[in-house]
Amino acid sequence: MADENVSFTGLTDEQAQELHEVYLKGFYLFSGVALVAHLLTFMWRPWFAGPEGFAALEAVSRTMIG
Amino acid sequence: MEKFYKIWLVFDPRRVFVAQGVFLFLLAAMIHFVLLSTDRYNWFEGNPVGGAGDSASLIDLGARLVTMV
Repeated sequence: MADENVSFTGLTDEQAQELHEVYLKGFYLFSGVALVAHLLTFMWRPWFAGPEGFAALEAVSRTMIG
Repeated sequence: MEKFYKIWLVFDPRRVFVAQGVFLFLLAAMIHFVLLSTDRYNWFEGNPVGGAGDSASLIDLGARLVTMV
C-alpha cells in the first residue's frame, strides 16, 4: 500500500498548507494592486456612462475645472 | 475556505502557476490593447475630456486653455 500522506501531486498535507499560504499572499497582493489601479482609473474616467452618455459626465467635470 | 489548500493535493502547483501566469498575462495584455484602441481610455494620446461623441481636437483644447487663462 502507498503511504497515506502522499497525494496525487506527491505533496503532503503540511506542504500543501504551506504552499497555500504563499499562494494566498500573492493573490492578495495582485488583487490589491489591481483594485488600486481600478480605483484610480475610475476616478480618471468612469466607465458607467448613464443614459445621456459620457458627455453628461464630462460636462460636470468641465464646469468644476472651468 | 480553510480546506482550499487541498487543491494542491490534486493539481500540480507548478503547472497551475505557469498556466495561471500565462493566462493572466495574456488577459491583461489584451485588455490593455483594447483600452489603448479607444479614444476615452488611451492614456498616451491624452484627449483630456474627449471620449465617445466628444470631439476634443487640438483647436478645442486650445480654446479651452485660453478660456481658463
